[in-house]
Amino acid sequence: MRALLIEDDKTIAEFVVRGLREAGFAVDHEADGEAGLEAALRQPYDVAIVDLMLPRRDGLSVIDALRKRGKTTPVLILSAKRSVDDRVKGLQAGGDDYLTKPFAFSELQARVQALLRRATRSPEPTTLTVEDLVLDLLSRRVSRGGTALDLRPREFALLEYLMRNAGKVVSKTMILSHVWDYQFDPQTNIVDVLVSRLREKIDRPFERKLLNTVRGVGYVLR
Amino acid sequence: MAAWYATLFVAGSIAIVVLTYFLTAVSLEQRDQQIIHEKLGEYALVYERGGIGALTDLVRAQQSTAPERLFVRVLDRGSETVVLSGPEGWRPESLQMASLRLGDGTLVEVGKSTDAREDLLARFRAVLGLVTLSIVVIALGGGLLATQTAIAPIRRLIDAVSRIIRTGRTDARVPLAGTGDAIDELTSLFNAMLDKIEALVRGMHDSLDNVSHDLRTPLTRLRGTAETALAARPDPERYREALADCVEESDRVLVMLNTLMDISEAESGAMPLQREPVRLADVVARAVDLYHDAAEAKGVTLGAAADPAVVVSGDRTRLEQAAANLIDNAVKYTPAGGRVDVEAAREGDRAILRVRDTGVGIPAGEQPLIWNRLFRGDTSRAERGLGLGLSLVKAIVQAHGGTVDVASEPARGSSFTVALPILSPM
Repeated sequence: MRALLIEDDKTIAEFVVRGLREAGFAVDHEADGEAGLEAALRQPYDVAIVDLMLPRRDGLSVIDALRKRGKTTPVLILSAKRSVDDRVKGLQAGGDDYLTKPFAFSELQARVQALLRRATRSPEPTTLTVEDLVLDLLSRRVSRGGTALDLRPREFALLEYLMRNAGKVVSKTMILSHVWDYQFDPQTNIVDVLVSRLREKIDRPFERKLLNTVRGVGYVLR
Repeated sequence: MAAWYATLFVAGSIAIVVLTYFLTAVSLEQRDQQIIHEKLGEYALVYERGGIGALTDLVRAQQSTAPERLFVRVLDRGSETVVLSGPEGWRPESLQMASLRLGDGTLVEVGKSTDAREDLLARFRAVLGLVTLSIVVIALGGGLLATQTAIAPIRRLIDAVSRIIRTGRTDARVPLAGTGDAIDELTSLFNAMLDKIEALVRGMHDSLDNVSHDLRTPLTRLRGTAETALAARPDPERYREALADCVEESDRVLVMLNTLMDISEAESGAMPLQREPVRLADVVARAVDLYHDAAEAKGVTLGAAADPAVVVSGDRTRLEQAAANLIDNAVKYTPAGGRVDVEAAREGDRAILRVRDTGVGIPAGEQPLIWNRLFRGDTSRAERGLGLGLSLVKAIVQAHGGTVDVASEPARGSSFTVALPILSPM
């Protein structure tokens, strides 16, 4: 998979490039809008990550120019502006998703994967499997090592999300917005409660623990 | 505009004056014409009855007695002058003439001197000229004065605006003339607009101050954590710990920044509300669902009783945020075995959202302070949190035109009541 990052902040660019390379992407980086647009027009990228505030040509105009030339490369917008208006503007210009700075790299990765899935229209699996843990999306049944597990709807939703992102760390914010569709940060640790409930069911009776906490970052199933 | 109006006025006046003069002149001429014709008729009659002799006598008699002598000439068939009589020093060019040929070919001519009429008209012209001049002077002068008076308040407004633009001082106001006219209204509207701008600017300034102040503490923690780890002997495990602390702390800074921005926006009236009809029962259901597991894990019963008919006009996400924050607090400060009850109901013309708990309660002295940003009461210090939840609730509710109140008794529990304008019973 080839990704193009157009971002003028060196440090941010560095950690995004490194992270995506570790995740198996071939990443090119451009530090201004003009160079970014040129690269995007010249090379066939699978996904582009575009900052909005760029020297020489702003991100929205880059996306607009790409779309006018008929390029359908999925675009993830990075922006320091968090208002609904800015988000709408970005999506109207032809962006496919919008991520506000500061962001967790795990979230950026998850969104890039989602864009790629959408773009390649890979067939939707009917079962998700991690080690001996199996989740059937159609019958909504979960089992581990052949033992059926009885999950509540929220626990099921969380497990499904973790299994879809198996091997990748997902942050609490990502879980909150996927499982509950809430966009703000409650102070009580609702996610912790749900994770420990789920852990109770899928890990406690078994020798090998699958659901791991990465302190400060989030949770990962591996 | 004023000059245009004055010009129009002067032109109109002059037209009227000219017309008056012309009509007067015409009517004077017509009167003379009538006199001449009457005379002609009279002479013709006398001539027909008494011949030339009678006519000559009549003319002589009349010319000696009349106050104004006419010009009379009678010519016989051979164009020989028979009778000639005229005013002293008459000149052919100053005569208005008419003639009549009688049956036997005799021609009677009667003329009237126009000198008197010309004299009268000359004086009339002088008077009219004077009048016209006064009109022009009054029109221009008065127009100028009236314009000045009318423009003065606008001038003051312009001066005030340019002064504000020049100095950037939004506390300047335009004095009211107190006449209650449209200009006064405009002035007071303009002042009201300035009030609003000033409040917004002050609000923005204050919130910037507050935000930068409030961020200093977590940033100090962040920096301290990193610095301590770096200063210590190299130890990968310790570094991992410090880095994890840093990530968590910066997440907290972000949440805090977002919340502070939300509060500031809501307080200053700059929060964009995506208003739509919102069923309070839906808000309650979502918020209760969010905290269901957390409450259960803590051994707190979370109950909901919502009237599905209560609808308000509001921003769904913001209202959910407010409800969630209230429930968050209630669950947090209610020990195991307690209850939290969320209720949506209609009371009069208000939509009520109430969150009651059987928790630790708030001491009476602290109750007015809980809405302040970053206030942490003695009982709440033990719990994690930013001390921003209730400020945000209050700001969101007030941005919706509602109120939020607390009733609490230490050790017995608290009850938070949000009252919003009801939209309509659905």
